[in-house]
Amino acid sequence: MAAVFRQTVAMLRGLLITGRYLFRRRVTAPYPDVKPPVAARFKGRHWLTLYADGLERCVGCELCVIVCPSQAIYVKAAENTPERQVSKGERHAEEFQINMLRCIFCGFCEEACPTGAIVLGHDYELAGYTRASMIYTKGMLTEPYPGASGRDPGREV
Amino acid sequence: MATDPAVRTVTLTIDGRAVTVPPGTTVYQAARAAGIEIPIFCYHDRMPPLGACRMCLVKVDRMGKLQTSCTLPAADGMVVSTTDPEVVAGQEAILEFLLINHPLDCPICDKGGECPLQDQTFRWGPGRSRFVEAKRDFAKPVSLGPVLTLDRERCILCWRCVRFGEIIAGDDALKGFERGFTSEINTPFTLPVESKFIGNTIAICPVGALTSRTYRFRARPWDNEPVPSTCTHCGLGCAVWFDVRGGEIVRTRAREAPAVNDIWLCDLGFFGHDYVASGERLTAPLVRRDGRLTQASWEEALDLVASRLRAARDRAPGRVAFLGGRRLSNEDALVAARLFGEVIGTPHRDHRVDAPPGGASLEVAWGLRAPLEEIARGDVFLLVGCDVTEEYPILWLRMKAAVDRGAALLLLHARRLEVRRHARWERLVRADRLAAETGALADALERGAAGPPPGLEAAVAAIAAGRRVHVVVGRFALDGPGGSAVLAAAVRIAEHSGGVLHVARGKGNDIGAQRFGLLPGAGGWPAPEILRRAAAGDLDVLYVAGSDPATAVTDRSAWDAARRGVGFLVVHEAFLSATAEAADVVLPSLVLPEKDGTVTNLEGRTLPLRAAVRGPGAARGDREIFSLIAARLGALFTYGTGDELFEALRAATPGVEAGAILPVAPVPARLAGDVPAGAVAAGAGGGSAELILATIDHLFTQGATTGRCRGITALAGAPHCLIHPDDAARLGVEPGALVELATGHGAVVLQARVTDVTAPGQVLLPRGFDAVSAYALVRWPHAVVAVTVRPLVAAAAGGAP
Ligand code: SF4
Ligand code: SF4
Ligand code: SF4
Ligand code: SF4
Ligand code: FES
Repeated sequence: MAAVFRQTVAMLRGLLITGRYLFRRRVTAPYPDVKPPVAARFKGRHWLTLYADGLERCVGCELCVIVCPSQAIYVKAAENTPERQVSKGERHAEEFQINMLRCIFCGFCEEACPTGAIVLGHDYELAGYTRASMIYTKGMLTEPYPGASGRDPGREV
Repeated sequence: MATDPAVRTVTLTIDGRAVTVPPGTTVYQAARAAGIEIPIFCYHDRMPPLGACRMCLVKVDRMGKLQTSCTLPAADGMVVSTTDPEVVAGQEAILEFLLINHPLDCPICDKGGECPLQDQTFRWGPGRSRFVEAKRDFAKPVSLGPVLTLDRERCILCWRCVRFGEIIAGDDALKGFERGFTSEINTPFTLPVESKFIGNTIAICPVGALTSRTYRFRARPWDNEPVPSTCTHCGLGCAVWFDVRGGEIVRTRAREAPAVNDIWLCDLGFFGHDYVASGERLTAPLVRRDGRLTQASWEEALDLVASRLRAARDRAPGRVAFLGGRRLSNEDALVAARLFGEVIGTPHRDHRVDAPPGGASLEVAWGLRAPLEEIARGDVFLLVGCDVTEEYPILWLRMKAAVDRGAALLLLHARRLEVRRHARWERLVRADRLAAETGALADALERGAAGPPPGLEAAVAAIAAGRRVHVVVGRFALDGPGGSAVLAAAVRIAEHSGGVLHVARGKGNDIGAQRFGLLPGAGGWPAPEILRRAAAGDLDVLYVAGSDPATAVTDRSAWDAARRGVGFLVVHEAFLSATAEAADVVLPSLVLPEKDGTVTNLEGRTLPLRAAVRGPGAARGDREIFSLIAARLGALFTYGTGDELFEALRAATPGVEAGAILPVAPVPARLAGDVPAGAVAAGAGGGSAELILATIDHLFTQGATTGRCRGITALAGAPHCLIHPDDAARLGVEPGALVELATGHGAVVLQARVTDVTAPGQVLLPRGFDAVSAYALVRWPHAVVAVTVRPLVAAAAGGAP
């Protein structure tokens, strides 16, 4: 008898919590119809940013490569020529790849970058059907127009 | 205790530790010996101290100011501190000063990641710059020739590069200009840099001021996997690191090897690796069908080769001949010698593809007869027909060190050598006079007191006074007119002076081929005879590996005739060379940087090869190909591992040890072709000719491999010939003009460089430019070739002098 009573009370206490949350503000979201906002400092998909004049910030220095703890980045540099001035100065990244499956989104690359070229953006919808599709190449990483990534293209660094 | 000469050591205290060193040691060296690190920039342990950069400051008791430890001789009882706050402040201040005008562009600098300035600033620097003013601004980068790039903003004026040219290489390639704030390093007259050793300045520049044009931006040091191997270009076998990124050799660096190259390389070594990754490499076997070379499977190609070899062997083993070996490893050579010697049983094997008939190259074993380290202790060097910097650059660095200590350099050649300003005696003679002149020198030495003929006094005096004489006979002398007489005279000179006679002949792994059985066996024919017999139809199969006879045989027509006369030509090649184009079967082979094994250098030293990269496509190692063919002929070579093969090498030639020298056979005292001195018969076909043709060696060429190395091709420049100003004036040849060189046998068109580095009465034609072959103009057995020069057009606009 006493046992039945104890169990009923416990159940009612549980229901009470349920009842309480019934009238609170919802914290889950019906993703993907509603996309939850992220914090300003959220570290998601990378962008290679551009200066306002369209020149690439990245100079192919490979500092992001050496700092990356998961060895996710591959850079092959090349020389700028008067006919093909890709970035400021003498050097640019001819190839730039990030393996998104390896990346742990630590943001060290952004920290190491001397020109502010690489930034981690707010996009977190990074799924793919193949491993190959998860290796982001330079074309995919470069922002479509100066400032598209949200980084001020007028900034020096 | 005062310095006691009997004790001959000094003891000083560095950072509280007693350090005992021999007198004359600097404080920096003493500290380093004790494991105490002092930062340096300008000091380099292969050069005397200079004291330019002030980075190595230390505090010494009872000396008022901080001292530069690299210039300060250690003295007994000295008390030195490297960690005193005053020293720390000094180091910080020096680094701050060095960085005042530094552009701080490490992210785009090739030195980044392996830069002493970066590392030392990180470790000893102040961490902050107070300098906000505008920095010195130079145009950059400046191109100093095809392989060198200068960034003057980064230069800290340590003078290492300048002093390398003065002290180590002796070519004064780089110099300092202007003063103070505007000081800069540059080449004299800002011309493209003239040096065979400029890659070393890139290596020792402590900042990113001098960088390589071919390596520019290709990798960071952490991308590279360094593979220790051996350079196989000139035959001296310098130790190298191949830096590999993404399956490609991106640069070559010197690997320290005190007995061979110390820490240096020549530019052929530094920039001569691009060919390995060339897109023109052969990747599949080719078999001639209906007159055209078409791709085939390995099975098909090997079966065909084996069946032709079997048929020829069954007719008579002597109907098969093998040519080549320069580009094979020791192991390849051994297996080739077994296949052709034991399995097929032909004595006709020769690696001396580029030796003409009747030349002295066929009379003696090739190679140096003393270790490089001993040569560096020599006191007289007589170079006869040997252009040391063009043929064996690192050998020159050894001689230069000795010359600086007072050794006499004596030059006898048909061209003025680049090293002539270090020479005590120089004799420039026309190619056909070389034998007579060498004979005259030998005569004068033997006559002794009788007094040498005019012009020879200095040479005779130097040789007579020398106690460690080295006579170096080069290819030009051996294969030129009267080669045997030159050699015989050189033997006499070496004997008379108690010196050593070196036969500076052989490139790549020629010495290994010579040692491991790629020489004619009993009754075998030397290479020129093989070609003659092939032309005469005495051969059924000619097998070529590790050589390109079509461009190497010094008479093109002799090769063409041989090709026409032989039924079946098999070639191992990495490229579709001229030989491969003419072959019946081409088997794609690996090149030496792709092989594991050993090579033998000119001293007879066994040196390691390690495969840096994998070969392209279906290309295979030569020794594997030989084994596969042997198996088809019923002989199983069971060499499992590289170690087993090395054991086989040692069994074949007792005394072979990794890294050690097994001397080359001595030069016989009496030579077959001994001609009485002075009585040189000029070869037929041009004894009295006004103008004769002679072929010289260049370090930078445009051959099958060098032509596929960006830096080397550019350094080689356009094909050209050298004509003396007197002859040029007589013939109306303008400097830089195109001329036609013609002999009775052919003609070539190329640029004329009018210069007095050649003797009058001859035209010098560098070999190794496949587009313009000297050998099209030569017909064996003529050693002296008369040539006519016809200017085609006036000097081409912008034609280089
Ligand atoms: S965020 Fe971190 S793990 Fe990802 S690429 Fe950058 S450094 Fe590497
Ligand atoms: S993204 Fe930045 S750190 Fe990475 S290579 Fe480019 S410039 Fe260098
Ligand atoms: S270029 Fe390099 S080696 Fe030469 S002086 Fe400048 S810093 Fe020194
Ligand atoms: S001296 Fe000879 S072996 Fe040495 S790096 Fe030059 S080519 Fe190679
Ligand atoms: S290292 Fe001593 S002054 Fe430069």
